Amino acid sequence: MEMTEAKRKDILVLFEEKGNEETVLRRLNAVDGSVVWEFREVTKDVPLQVSTNVEKVFVVFLKGTKGAYSLKVTTLDTLTGKRLDELVIGTKANLNDEEDIMFVGANSAAPIVAWTDTEHTTLRVNVLGLKTSQEFPLVEDTVEVEIHAPHLIQSQPHFLVHSKTATGNKGEVYHIDLKTGHISKAYDLPLLPGKGAFATSSISANVYFTRITEDELILVSSQSHGVLGRWPLKKASSKVTPIHAVSEVIKKVGADGNYAVRSAALTTDDEWTLVRSGEVGWTRPEGLSGGVAAAFAEIPESEELAKSLEQEAHSNPVQAYIHRVKRHINDLQYLPTYLNNIPARLISSIAGTEVTSSAAKLSRDSFGFHKLVILATKRGMVYGLDIGKSGTAVWHKRAFQIPKGQKWDVKGIQVNESLGQVTILGANNDFVVLKTETGQVLSAKAPSSEATTQNTALVDTASGQRLLRIGRDGKIGSLPVDKAPKQTVVTRGADGELKGVIFVPDGTTSHESTSWVFSLPQDQRIVSIATRPSHDAVASIGRVLGDRTVKYKYLNPNTIVVAAVDNKACTLTVYLLDTVSGQILSSAKHNGVDPTKPVECAMAENWFVCSFFGQYTLRENSAQSLRGYQVVVSDLYESEEANDRGPLGDASTFSSLDPVDVPTGVALPSVVSQTYVMGAPVSALQVSQTRQGITSRQLLAYLPESHGIMGIPRMLLEPRRPVGRDATPAEMEEGLFKYHPAIEIDPKSVITHERDVIGIKKIITSPAIVESTSLVFAYGVDIFGTRVTPSFLFDILGKGFNKMSLVGTVLALFVGVTMLAPMVRKKQINLRWSAPM
Amino acid sequence: MSATPLPSWAIELKNPPPYKLKSSIPDPPGYPSSQPSNSKKDKKSAPKRDPPSPEEMDTLKLKKAWEVALAPIKSLPMTAIMMYMSGNSLQIFSIMMIVMAFKNPIMGILGTNQAFERFETETNKSKVLQVKLVYVVMQFVALALGVWKVNGMGLLPTTRSDWLAWEAQREPVEFAVPGL
Repeated sequence: MEMTEAKRKDILVLFEEKGNEETVLRRLNAVDGSVVWEFREVTKDVPLQVSTNVEKVFVVFLKGTKGAYSLKVTTLDTLTGKRLDELVIGTKANLNDEEDIMFVGANSAAPIVAWTDTEHTTLRVNVLGLKTSQEFPLVEDTVEVEIHAPHLIQSQPHFLVHSKTATGNKGEVYHIDLKTGHISKAYDLPLLPGKGAFATSSISANVYFTRITEDELILVSSQSHGVLGRWPLKKASSKVTPIHAVSEVIKKVGADGNYAVRSAALTTDDEWTLVRSGEVGWTRPEGLSGGVAAAFAEIPESEELAKSLEQEAHSNPVQAYIHRVKRHINDLQYLPTYLNNIPARLISSIAGTEVTSSAAKLSRDSFGFHKLVILATKRGMVYGLDIGKSGTAVWHKRAFQIPKGQKWDVKGIQVNESLGQVTILGANNDFVVLKTETGQVLSAKAPSSEATTQNTALVDTASGQRLLRIGRDGKIGSLPVDKAPKQTVVTRGADGELKGVIFVPDGTTSHESTSWVFSLPQDQRIVSIATRPSHDAVASIGRVLGDRTVKYKYLNPNTIVVAAVDNKACTLTVYLLDTVSGQILSSAKHNGVDPTKPVECAMAENWFVCSFFGQYTLRENSAQSLRGYQVVVSDLYESEEANDRGPLGDASTFSSLDPVDVPTGVALPSVVSQTYVMGAPVSALQVSQTRQGITSRQLLAYLPESHGIMGIPRMLLEPRRPVGRDATPAEMEEGLFKYHPAIEIDPKSVITHERDVIGIKKIITSPAIVESTSLVFAYGVDIFGTRVTPSFLFDILGKGFNKMSLVGTVLALFVGVTMLAPMVRKKQINLRWSAPM
Repeated sequence: MSATPLPSWAIELKNPPPYKLKSSIPDPPGYPSSQPSNSKKDKKSAPKRDPPSPEEMDTLKLKKAWEVALAPIKSLPMTAIMMYMSGNSLQIFSIMMIVMAFKNPIMGILGTNQAFERFETETNKSKVLQVKLVYVVMQFVALALGVWKVNGMGLLPTTRSDWLAWEAQREPVEFAVPGL
């Protein structure tokens, strides 16, 4: 897509049509978008670029087969689009791929096309319109070459070759003779160690090259190697290691002819930085986009404290007590600073301003809002975000250099709170262990070329909790006894079936053994699996009904929800599986489901939800058909009846493998379901979590069409809402109200507020210390974090609480009492002394 | 002594003629009215009556004791109506009523002996004991009314839901972890 000069600026657009068989170049009128002319060519050649100089249009093709391309340049007339010439330029079989062409210039006086050989020893440059190409040697050990040329027609035809070696980078400036098309080298910019970036900018005919290195910014003209300006980069908090930049050069008016440069540079840490004449203007952590895995982590307590607490735990009570007293006496030295801080804290608390902790030190707060989110992005970066401070990046580390076009496939992330470490496992047998507080890489293994890990599971072993790698087709292999999981591991088999794997110890190793397999019927395929969150606090094991009887919740941690669709029959079957025995505890089939639309499930406590797109005619009225996104919510109870704990009775434990001796067999849950129609598609379903589980829950869902995250109260998604009648007083006491199928997207329930949050893949939640609040973090293309309070902030004073008037009242009372007390005393004494009349 | 009859005025001075009820003239304020006349009547009759015998005293005291014993039940209908009217919601009024409904009977039971101390003699001990028992039963009836009220307000832990917090979650024997 380029522009040509006429009276107006038209646009040239290169199309590939009819299944990449036809190449069409159209010149579009920039005013109304109409086609001025079009050039059509039916070849198998790969169209690459379109380019122009003052009088001609060039279309660059790759001719030949993959692996040995040559260049074909078709010259067209600017005004009519007629073919003028066609040139084939030999490349000496150095072009293997479209990617190998490094540069196709356009709009300049002499557009060029450039490529290198695979070993990066020589650079070949062809001035478009000429048959011959010229060869230039490159610096030894060059790994990458970039070409920078001006994009203005009036600029001088100069270009810069930026060759990067493993350790340094170098620039070479070439001039093109417009008449002969001969390219000559003008001067060299020295090889500097470290990474650097070049940027081109032009003021009318003058071309300037800006070079940004790790410690300075240099401005040179394309004419000569004389340095026009040099600005040392002031060391910012993070080092700028630019890899790509654009610059704007302004020549100051005046005799001295000073220059001002501002450049926007992309650094190796995926940050976007503006450097204004040597000063870092701002930095944006652009790399935060494209998150692939995230986890909440507590801010680690100081290592010394952890150590001394450990010491206390291991010594006998008396020693521990003495140790603690000593520690507290030692802590007294911090008392003056603490006391000093009190007035400031008091004032800020009354004034309602955020308490700024001294220095930028990470510390936990009493509400538990300060937590870290460890975010891994697809470009191999790991970030530590302090969600208590609007998500500021506390640290960022590049875990791996992920090659272009690939992404880091993270399969598991685990935070070890006691060690203060986070472990990230990737699919390609790679891992990285970082410190949660600083991001310091403790150990790492780079990804291999082959993806060997299907998934990971967080298992309990004899040597503690660890992330277990699950190989392809759900194979884990033998493990040492102390590293073998104690639990059944649920994995996916080779044919998509689910299986439970247990580990049988045999001497010093444990062998895997399949305990159950759950295969779906032929036509069904699994589209979504939901599990209960690892932290799923249950405040009450039953639900109190209006008549004060209890319906006991079916609380089995070993359950998963599996949603499978049948493409032919257009059905969705939702299975509830016991993951220890593989038994189907319940299943529900939904007819008239669009299998091409996403199906998502979420599970918590004793209920689960599945969302799908339904389209069916009503059973009662075949003339009426229903179409829309629906959410099915199901509650699981131990028994149909109230005050009944099902066949297991008062047993304090249960075993999925040891069914109770009753005719019904395994204790199956009683399921109550209800369907609601959503006003918009939902995805990335997640349930809010709080510390004790007392607070009612919210179903968090991403709205892909309105780019927001919605919190649907669980009260609304209640399967026991009375259908077709008003709620009785007893039901109302329970919080049930009349069933209404539609759930509208209430703008008040959109927790992203006015922000557009795009491409959310997953939402994670974590409890805070205060019961009312659940921390929410969503990642995908964008990241978003907030706190939700499904039952409102019942345990924190709100912002509206008038602390000023409270303190004022107390003070006024105090003053009043101190003033009145002597007066009253005086009066009483006078009363005693006055003669009784 | 010569039995010179006293002149009538003197006699009347000592013993004024009885108050004529028929007189339509109201007494002036402060004039000894029915009260003194009654007392005078008592005085008149008192000397006539013999001091009650200990048996008579006992029956009298027993009678009084019965009155005391049955007092709590007499106020019950009134309390019941008030409790019914105050509703089953938790308000300051109903809470105060419940506190009174519990406090009075319990205090009464605790103070049984004091209540009947004055009616007790050496001879009627066994009879007073019966009365005491009846008194205690009556207090329990009053207490039952309070309990009924509390139950009506749903404050008695009589249903399964009231003991839900003490019921433990059933723990699984085996565990599984998803690796999906």
